[in-house]
Amino acid sequence: MKRLVVAVIGLLLALPVMAMSVVFLNPGKSDEAFWLISARAMQQAAKSLDVQLEVLFAERQPLRTLELARGIIARPVNERPEYVIITNDYATGPALLRLFDATGIKVFMAYSGISEAADRVALGLPRERFKNWLGSLEPHAEDAGYLTAKKLIETGRKSGAVGADGKLHLMVIGGDRSTPTSIRRNAGMHRAISEAPDVVLDQEVFAGWTREKAAEQSVWLYQRYPGTRLIWAGNDLMAFGAMDSWEKRGGKAGVDAWFSGVNTSREALESVKSGRLSALAGGHFIAGAWSLVLIHDYHHGRDFVDEGLELEQPMFALFTPKLADRFLVKYGDMRFDQVDFRRFSKTLNPALKRYDFSFEQLLR
Amino acid sequence: MTISRCKSEISVAQIFPLLSVSIWDIEPDAVQRQLDGIAEKPQIGFARLTVSTGQVFSAGDQSLAVSTSEKSFDVPSPSRVNESIGKLEIYENPRAFYRELLYSVAIALVGYGVLTFLICALVIYVLKRELEYPLRHIAQFVSALTPDRLTAPLQLPRQAGHLRDEIDLVVDGFAVLQAGVTGYISNLDELVAQRTAELETAMASIQRLSTIDSLTGCFNRRLFNERIVQELERAERYGRPVSLVFCDIDHFKQVNDTYGHLLGDQVLQAVAGVFERYLRHEVDWVARYGGEEFVIVLPETALAEALTTGERLRKAIENDLQIAAEESLQVTASFGVAQHRPGEIAEQLIHDADLLLYQAKAAGRNRVFPVL
Repeated sequence: MKRLVVAVIGLLLALPVMAMSVVFLNPGKSDEAFWLISARAMQQAAKSLDVQLEVLFAERQPLRTLELARGIIARPVNERPEYVIITNDYATGPALLRLFDATGIKVFMAYSGISEAADRVALGLPRERFKNWLGSLEPHAEDAGYLTAKKLIETGRKSGAVGADGKLHLMVIGGDRSTPTSIRRNAGMHRAISEAPDVVLDQEVFAGWTREKAAEQSVWLYQRYPGTRLIWAGNDLMAFGAMDSWEKRGGKAGVDAWFSGVNTSREALESVKSGRLSALAGGHFIAGAWSLVLIHDYHHGRDFVDEGLELEQPMFALFTPKLADRFLVKYGDMRFDQVDFRRFSKTLNPALKRYDFSFEQLLR
Repeated sequence: MTISRCKSEISVAQIFPLLSVSIWDIEPDAVQRQLDGIAEKPQIGFARLTVSTGQVFSAGDQSLAVSTSEKSFDVPSPSRVNESIGKLEIYENPRAFYRELLYSVAIALVGYGVLTFLICALVIYVLKRELEYPLRHIAQFVSALTPDRLTAPLQLPRQAGHLRDEIDLVVDGFAVLQAGVTGYISNLDELVAQRTAELETAMASIQRLSTIDSLTGCFNRRLFNERIVQELERAERYGRPVSLVFCDIDHFKQVNDTYGHLLGDQVLQAVAGVFERYLRHEVDWVARYGGEEFVIVLPETALAEALTTGERLRKAIENDLQIAAEESLQVTASFGVAQHRPGEIAEQLIHDADLLLYQAKAAGRNRVFPVL
């Protein structure tokens, strides 16, 4: 009995000094640039904020995500994390929320939140039906589509890439039809086109985010629309796929056809620098790191409820060759050692009144 | 072959919207899947799709493309009218014709088999309903038939309004049989009742014979022994007096020896006649106790009154007794009278009266003892 009391007191004393534990259920592949850099940024944030972070990759298999979640739940209670960061990629969010409900593990959604009306009806708002669902932080995904499309159209205008009808023709290779991120990026692209009366959208296809399928589809598109010179892609890989098949036909990207993409892969940034890629938006990988900052502050008594529970914030930076160069210099090796995430924490900086989620502040 | 061609056209037309969309959306995997789906149809041997942007897809057995006839379709654009986005060539599968023939024959055989089975089932059903069930019912009825339930009618649960048939004849036959047996049994009952009445009469006669002395009409000694016990019990219970008179005809042996037994019998009958006349009807009673001995029971009678009765009887025998054949014959009798004392049993009372009779005899006969 005496020993038990001592053990309990010891445990209670140890609690405050024990780092808070977080698991990130990463939906992407462990060798996929975006999800890898997301994890790296989060690891640095965790290091800065003294958070114990574990990243599990689902390798783009939605069922694997659920398996990983079950694995976490199956752990002994004292080995379970206090927080888990999930995404709603492949619409796994509702299932994950239900899995973690009643386990006592607090859930935060990053990168993609709940947007489907049916899900909203079933799930409600954070901290309502699912008490441990703290909230979500999403990059304002529409920005990516809007910024790149606008830049691509500007480039087209400057280059005079008009078709026989005197208009700028544009083809779109989207990611998929269902992911909210994809839908929003395309929506941003559509908004930019609707603001440009001299632009005709020839066709929109979906290449499942992959370089290979984009390359294959673009072959058909080039044959179907021989006069089209502007190709907007939902991410960098698909832009490269379209570029590959264009160059295979003897074309030259950035010279006789212009491409846009999203994400801060080294190849994309280099292509911006070299001019092959005319427009690139990225930096939203930082959403994971920002999520850790929010959870850290929540854990230490500073709830983010005053900024909103479901945050959709501008994060994307449009990369000029200069910004691309700066990124490559600072983070080209996917290292964020020099970033001290403590300066973004409200608990560690009581003077900080509102969070700034933009990525550009990390390029200054 | 026209049927199969017709079918293949329908299936291709149905698949067009999906195929069009897959081509238009540039989903090569989906295009290939749908082409495979077309080639999987039994009538189709080989399918080839040439997209207007140059890509070629094929599915099925390519060797058929040379040997059999082809049919070609333009794949329409899903969005723009009258614009083709590809050409689909379909080659028939000759094996499908034979397969279809075999299939048709098999279907027909199975159909006839099912029909035959259904008809047999119907026949079995009708036989069961019309024969087996009624017969089983009749068998159950017969096995449950007992004498007391003989009149229960046999009723079969058959549909009202059915035609009269042999089953109904059997049911009617049972009704006739039941009526016959019931009639016979009731006759038997009447006969038994008659015989029972005769038996009761005979029994009563036997009863009477067994309690009455046939010569004198008095009760016999056996009945006396039974009845005296009851008489004394009743007297004890209600605290009433009862007296017993022992009577013996004087010199009866001499009468018998002198005049013969026949006359002796007449004397006994005459004495019994005196008792009949001089005693209270339905109250007093007399039993022939031995040869010329009578015992007279006088309920509700104390000793004094009993002595009076005894005296009256003595006088009546002495004076009124007439024997037709022998007018000169003088008959007298001696009497011993005793009143029952509480707690006294029948044997003692008889002994008392007998003792007094003896004393009366000893005192010279033709008298009543005791003398008060």
